[in-house]
Amino acid sequence: MGLDFGPDTGTDGNIITTTIDKVVNWGRKNSLWPMPFGTACCAIEMMATLASKFDLSRFGSEAIRFSPRQSDLLIVSGRISIKMMPVLKRIYDQMPDPKWVISMGACASCGGVFDTYTLIQGVDQFIPVDVYIPGCPPRPEDLIDAVLQVQQKIASGASPKGVEAIL
Amino acid sequence: MNEEKEVEEQSKPLVLEKLEANHADTLLAQDESRGTVVVVVRKEQAYAVLEYLKTDPELAYTYLVDVTAVDNSQMESELIQFDYARFMVIYQLYSYQGQCRVRVKVPVHENDLSISSVTGLWRAANWLERETYDMFGIHFEGHPDLRRILMPDDFEGHPLRKDYPLQGRGERERFNFDKQNV
Amino acid sequence: MQSGLERATGEKMVLSFGPQHPATHGTLRIVLELDGESILKATPHAGYLHTGFEKLGEHLDYNQYIVVTDRMNYLSPLSNNFGYVLAVEQLLGIEVPKRCQYIRILMAELSRMADHLLWLGTAALDLGAFSVFLYSFREREKLYSIFEKTTGARLTTSYTRVGGVLRDLYQGCEEDIRQFITNFPKALKETHTLLTRNRIWMDRTKGVGPISGDDAIDYGLTGPCLRATGVAHDLRKAEPYSSYDEVTFDVPVGTNGDAYDRYLVRMEEMIQSCGIITQVLDNMPDGPVNLEDNKIMLPNKSDAYGHIEGLIHHFKVIMDGHGVEVPKGDHYCATESPNGELGFYIVSDGSGTGYRIRIRPPSFLHFQALPHMLEGGMVSDTVAVLGSLNVIAGELDR
Repeated sequence: MGLDFGPDTGTDGNIITTTIDKVVNWGRKNSLWPMPFGTACCAIEMMATLASKFDLSRFGSEAIRFSPRQSDLLIVSGRISIKMMPVLKRIYDQMPDPKWVISMGACASCGGVFDTYTLIQGVDQFIPVDVYIPGCPPRPEDLIDAVLQVQQKIASGASPKGVEAIL
Repeated sequence: MNEEKEVEEQSKPLVLEKLEANHADTLLAQDESRGTVVVVVRKEQAYAVLEYLKTDPELAYTYLVDVTAVDNSQMESELIQFDYARFMVIYQLYSYQGQCRVRVKVPVHENDLSISSVTGLWRAANWLERETYDMFGIHFEGHPDLRRILMPDDFEGHPLRKDYPLQGRGERERFNFDKQNV
Repeated sequence: MQSGLERATGEKMVLSFGPQHPATHGTLRIVLELDGESILKATPHAGYLHTGFEKLGEHLDYNQYIVVTDRMNYLSPLSNNFGYVLAVEQLLGIEVPKRCQYIRILMAELSRMADHLLWLGTAALDLGAFSVFLYSFREREKLYSIFEKTTGARLTTSYTRVGGVLRDLYQGCEEDIRQFITNFPKALKETHTLLTRNRIWMDRTKGVGPISGDDAIDYGLTGPCLRATGVAHDLRKAEPYSSYDEVTFDVPVGTNGDAYDRYLVRMEEMIQSCGIITQVLDNMPDGPVNLEDNKIMLPNKSDAYGHIEGLIHHFKVIMDGHGVEVPKGDHYCATESPNGELGFYIVSDGSGTGYRIRIRPPSFLHFQALPHMLEGGMVSDTVAVLGSLNVIAGELDR
């Protein structure tokens, strides 16, 4: 949380000093609201991550929101076709700042095994991506790891890709 | 050799017998491959043959399994056999009554890409024909709603034609997000 | 949609449902024309996940394409693998050894259960029953671990090969599966307790989205959606492939063809699958798993690495123009996938790569029939009906 005990003022450590940024980031980090943009196979592994065995809510991310206006973490999981890309772009635009993006799986990150006429070869051509997860599909542990990496990034105070600075 | 032929004729499937009796002039070729009867019929009479297959009480091919097409432009033997027709529209039918399948193929020339729609016979044909139109550009006459189904409306070209490249013609890199109406 | 609005006498509303909507599981879109809460017209839109599978089939060789079939119906990839290699094998005119056929049935039935479980979880989740989602994923995770041990992957299995399977069952597989199917009916009973006589569940699914048997056939519905209407048609019985004629099972049918019947049919199918699996395990033949034909099957990895003959075989099979060469011709092969009739129509020009591979997906026709079930109903039924159809976008759009 980036807390420092104050100077020795005789208050026996009852005063702590920190910065507003750190407190806000601590809050953000532990209450990510993901917006699952699941289209294909990776979405099934995403469901598995949310379900009983892996349980993403242990990491403060259980408030899945299907409305982009309420979420701050976009998980793009699955293939994105040229027909779908405008929808994804619009959903990303609708999310309030600051927002983070996880590109889950090979297809979302680079097109995967499908180098075909209709498939976007990596969503990062059109929206900024913070964390990429390799795998086809990635295991639930990989997705959890990616969420933890986003949390680290938030805690470090770095601004998300594509956003100038966090207010 | 003669004996073999006799055996074949005895076990001739009902559908072939009936088609030969009623629609002999439309049949361009017929075959029985791996348990499925395959008939190639002239485009002009295709609708009549399909209607016959569906409505004849003994045949009753009430289930349209699939409608698709093949671009034969790189398949020399097929081109030669069917008068250089580039496309072959394929109907797969199944009869719940007889528990058997039949495959109807219709050669379509590139200079006249229209063929009668069978949406009036089977409602299942609607989307299957739309997909064939989308992927091959074959025009189904009388289809109630012949639009693209898998590709975006403003897409150009027909991806499953043999002259369309696998990686496309740059559609996946170009986007005008302002124009798109989602 | 404009014309519909102009015709309207009262207050009409157009609602775009999807493509990003929690109940659409990804990428389906339905445009609903509403009068108050009743649906006047529904127009489904497809294509948001179009990937070009059929075009890829013209560029990948027959064994490479197995990888692509995994990603088509990602709830039950093993069934897709199975259906595809069966089509290629029938075109080649080969039959795999008995043990292989049994292993394939075993895996196909396990994946049928996995598919129905996920369907159950998400369909119930859409109607607000969150516990069912957790319960069904608990069971699915057990299946995942069996799949992972057998095939090396949880989801994208690529288990079958033209002429066989990747590898034999692992040691202890039989015990794992037996343990799973012994406990499974008990676990399913929990769901029955939660849903089957649940007032809310029945109100929301009974009589919702009905379709008659004749309409279902006309629309080309197959699988549980067709059987829920009372048509007892199952390709495993009608055209027994692999060794399905050697196992006995019942084909559950419904009566009304509504969402509730589709639910009951799927629930019973899982129990029937358990029965099939028991029979398969009891009668599992010994002997070779894969076809012993060096022109078709890849050699064992140890042979390829350790012996010059193995290396040459490997090389020959992999090299274009030396390996699996399918005779010229075309063939349509249909299998009973968890969702219905999954057909592969393969046209071969005699080379090692398909000339045209057409996939006949069940979901495509199910989604097409959606307006028939929705129109005249209420807007909240959309979720129940769509959930009951189990439309898989990967298979719908290919």
